[in-house]
This record gives sequence, structure tokens and C-alpha cells, in this order.
Amino acid sequence: MEMNTWNILLVDDEVDFITTLAERLELRGVEARVVHDGESALKAVSDNVPQVMVLDVMMPGMKGIDVLQRVKAEHPDVRVILLTGQGKTRDGIEGMRHGAFAYLTKPLDLEELLRTISEAISSPEGTTHA
Amino acid sequence: MPEISNDARFMGAVTAQSMHEMQNILAIIRESAGLMGDILKVNSRVDFKHKPNMVKTLENITFQVDRGKGLLDATSRLAHTPDADLLECCDLTAFCRTLGQLADRYVRLKGTSLKFTLPSTALPVSIGALQVLMSGYKALQWAVGAGMKDGVLRADLEAGTDFHVLVISPPQGVNPDRDKVPALSTMLEPGRAEWDGRQLRLFFPAKR
Repeated sequence: MEMNTWNILLVDDEVDFITTLAERLELRGVEARVVHDGESALKAVSDNVPQVMVLDVMMPGMKGIDVLQRVKAEHPDVRVILLTGQGKTRDGIEGMRHGAFAYLTKPLDLEELLRTISEAISSPEGTTHA
Repeated sequence: MPEISNDARFMGAVTAQSMHEMQNILAIIRESAGLMGDILKVNSRVDFKHKPNMVKTLENITFQVDRGKGLLDATSRLAHTPDADLLECCDLTAFCRTLGQLADRYVRLKGTSLKFTLPSTALPVSIGALQVLMSGYKALQWAVGAGMKDGVLRADLEAGTDFHVLVISPPQGVNPDRDKVPALSTMLEPGRAEWDGRQLRLFFPAKR
């Protein structure tokens, strides 16, 4: 699938980080919607179901794992890539148990993110990132 | 369950929060430098006097962010060692990697380089993560001594059956004080430390 047809949702409360990431994706032909909290993420998903959601685990209010569980319950086809903290790979492992496709740690490697999104979009339902 | 003081819990909890904030800061710096690099590439036909300097500076920013990421990871792991699930057992491979990252600067300041070799698999041990890091760090400090210019301090983790062993080889020319080995051994209980005159072996009980 061409990158310019991807439907991506980015969710992170760090506004400078996630908007800069969205700009870099746009320069590569990837249009991504951006929201900054869990409640907005759920609304964005129900308005327009994305193929892939890139989701920060630690956010004020609704935590990333709770958003993941709600999204997977209502839209199991959405692939979720979690952004976790360095010392807490257990967040990533817990996320995989709840149906996340993969987890990446900040600071991100953009090329690794793009590869992971591409794998997520082309993977059959129920598979996870190796 | 091992005793962890309230002081250690406080320091761990607050440090973990700060490290998480640092991750976000580094992530913003990395993406911002990356965006500037992307803009330069998109406008690659435009030339200006300081373009090579700008490209080099952006590469340097990314390099330093990656350098910071490793140290941040290690400090964050250290901050989480008072957590309940790390008090009595941990993955020795992961925490020896952390040990290497935390001790690197101390060893370098002695004019010595630290060379760690680790297995590719996890090695569960029935010793808490904080105990692993404290005993390992003390052992590396002991082994490097006053240091040796251009010397190499080696630390090699070997999988065993009842015990997994961290073999520490001081730099050539450094003679650590053998009278301090019993104290290192006590720090490792139920494991132990042994010095044969050339290498220090730290024995960590394998978790069944």
C-alpha cells in the first residue's frame, strides 16, 4: 500500500513532539491526524477509524493502555503501536498482552517507526511485530 | 523480602518521573533536528555558505541524543530498582547492561575503558536488581582502582547452572586490594565474590 494512502492517528500529550513528528511524516507523503489525550483519541477513532494508531502510554487523564483496550474492543482491526518509557518495557509487554501490534521507545527512530507502520498495515489481523 | 529504605523508594520514584520527562525532551530535540535535516534535504538544490556546517551540526545533535538515550535508559532502570517486582529477582543480562552504562563514565575518568560482554539471552537470578547494581558497581570501582591510562577493564557475564558469573578482569598493572573482597562477597549474599589474584568472580544465584 502506498504511504500517501495510509490512515494514521498519532496520540501524545507532548504537543511539540507529536506535531513535529507529524510534519516529518507529511514531508514523506504520510498524512497523519494528531490528538493529545485519550478521550480525543477515542473520538477520533470513532469519527474515522485509522489503520494504525501510534499511542503514548503515559498521558494525563486516560492512560494509553486504557485507550488501547477500548479501541481494540470496538475496532479490533486497528493496529496500535505503543510509545513506552525507557525503563518500563513492562508497559510494552503489558500492551502486547492487550493487543498492541508493537512498542517503540522514545526518542524515536523515524525510519524504524515507518517500517513498523508499514508492517502493521500489511499484517494479517492478530499478528504482532516480531 | 529485602529491606528497601523509604529514602531509596523516594529517590527512585522521583528520579523515574524525571527520567520520563527527559525522554520526552530528548524526543523533541531529536524530531526537531530531524525536521531541520528533512527540510535541508527537500531543498538540497539550494546552497548557502554554512550548509556543510549545518548538516554536520544536525548529525552531531542526533548522535548526542542517541548517546543520552542509553544513559537515560540505564538511569531509569536504576530508578525502578525499588519496585516490588525487582526486589527479589531480575534479569542479570539486562541489569549488567545497565551496570555497564552507569559505570562507563566513572571508569573513563580513571583513564581506562570498560569492555562488557553479555550473552544474548536473559539470565534470571534470585537476587534483587538494586543488589546486582550496587555489588557490581562496587566491584568495578574496586577493580579499576586508581586507573591505568589506556587500560582496559573487562567484565564478561557467563551463564552457569546454579550460579551465573560476572568475571571482572582489572586493567594490567592495577593491583586491587584483596582485603576488600569479603565485603564485596557480603553484598552479594546469597551469592559470593572470589578473587584468584587475576580475576574477580561475582556469583549470582540462578533463579529456578
